[in-house]
Amino acid sequence: MKRKASIATWPKPQGAPHPVACHFCDTLHDGAAVPEGTAARCKRCGVLLYQNRPASLVRVTAFSATALILMGIVNLFPFLSMEANGIRTELSLFRAARELIREGSPAIGWCVAIFTLVAPLAMAGGMLYVCAPLLKGRAAPGARHVARWLGRTEPWNMIEVFLLGVLVSLMKLGKMAELTFGVGFWAFGALMLCMAAAVAGIDRNELWDRLEVAEE
Amino acid sequence: MTPRLPRAIDQGLASCHVCGKVTPVNRGRCPRCGESLHLRKPLSVQRTVALLLAALALYLPANMLPVMTISELGDVMASTILEGMVEFWHREAYPIAIVIFVASIMIPIVKIVALVWLCAAATGKVHPSPRVLGRIYWFTELLGRWSMVDIFVVSILVALVQFGAYMTVTPGPGALAFAGVVVLTMFAAMSFDPRLLWDRLEILNASETLQPTPNRE
Repeated sequence: MKRKASIATWPKPQGAPHPVACHFCDTLHDGAAVPEGTAARCKRCGVLLYQNRPASLVRVTAFSATALILMGIVNLFPFLSMEANGIRTELSLFRAARELIREGSPAIGWCVAIFTLVAPLAMAGGMLYVCAPLLKGRAAPGARHVARWLGRTEPWNMIEVFLLGVLVSLMKLGKMAELTFGVGFWAFGALMLCMAAAVAGIDRNELWDRLEVAEE
Repeated sequence: MTPRLPRAIDQGLASCHVCGKVTPVNRGRCPRCGESLHLRKPLSVQRTVALLLAALALYLPANMLPVMTISELGDVMASTILEGMVEFWHREAYPIAIVIFVASIMIPIVKIVALVWLCAAATGKVHPSPRVLGRIYWFTELLGRWSMVDIFVVSILVALVQFGAYMTVTPGPGALAFAGVVVLTMFAAMSFDPRLLWDRLEILNASETLQPTPNRE
């Protein structure tokens, strides 16, 4: 399929110009639209100001919906199981957090639960809740509050770090037991990619401009 | 010299740190998302330094205390982060040893030093060179989370290795301290405002250009 490079941009709220200030050096820019697939950079420090992602809303909706489905698969199907000495144990995200809480480290257990379960779920659910109605130009009730929390949750979503943790653990366990990967493990890999694609799918400025337009 | 580019602060404009809208700061709250407006993150340097001190206090216990104990057929072995890395090295699993060294030992300490340096530059104690320091800041913000990998390894091993008397893994006190270091340095990086470096540079440039030609505007 061949597509012409489009200069289409997202709708801007009514009224006066919408300047953008660099979050890095505070230089003011006019916030002019950029062609699809490109980004505007700060004139002084070169940091990314905003970008015009192609098919942003559709992509974010699709990837975050997929991520939610994958989260169900990750938690319902076996992730990784280990057999040693005739005993079989299973790993799941839920168990990784719960066993820490049971074994006397509730604080870390809750941290793990937040970083691998709560934050990804809030991110994917929140993005779907905000972006799906925006496809039809409508703002979901309370969408502003959800969007505010999206930005705060983002740094605490650590599923890719957890995946590295799984790999390191595999190397540690390698020789002492028989390990079996389940459907959950592969779903987890796909979940990581979907979350990354959903987060990178829309620029913060675009999301908020669209929200503002939808609420006008 | 390049022409002086206008800054938002010069016009009393604040960019909302949640939604990015630029609004006069005297409106108090962002009209779009309702967040309170600030020209700069409030008490940025103080907060960053306080969080760094807390992280530094936890850094020693995080590395000296065992993050987990492995009991195998009656033998109890406590393992610190460093011992875990050395073990991989001895088993000739060099890539994993390097990953653990970078994520768990190097990143936290580099991050603490870098943020102290950034705070010193923001308060004028060191020359602010925003281009270099900006890169460092971006780096600390991006990489900080990867230090969490060792905590996840502990949680995975605790969940998987439960074979009664044959072999069990339990979390150690070092894990809590280590998680504390990671979370505190992440908060420290978030509370630092990189615009302070450019403000400092602005002051320096102004005093340099003012001295030889006092008549300039």
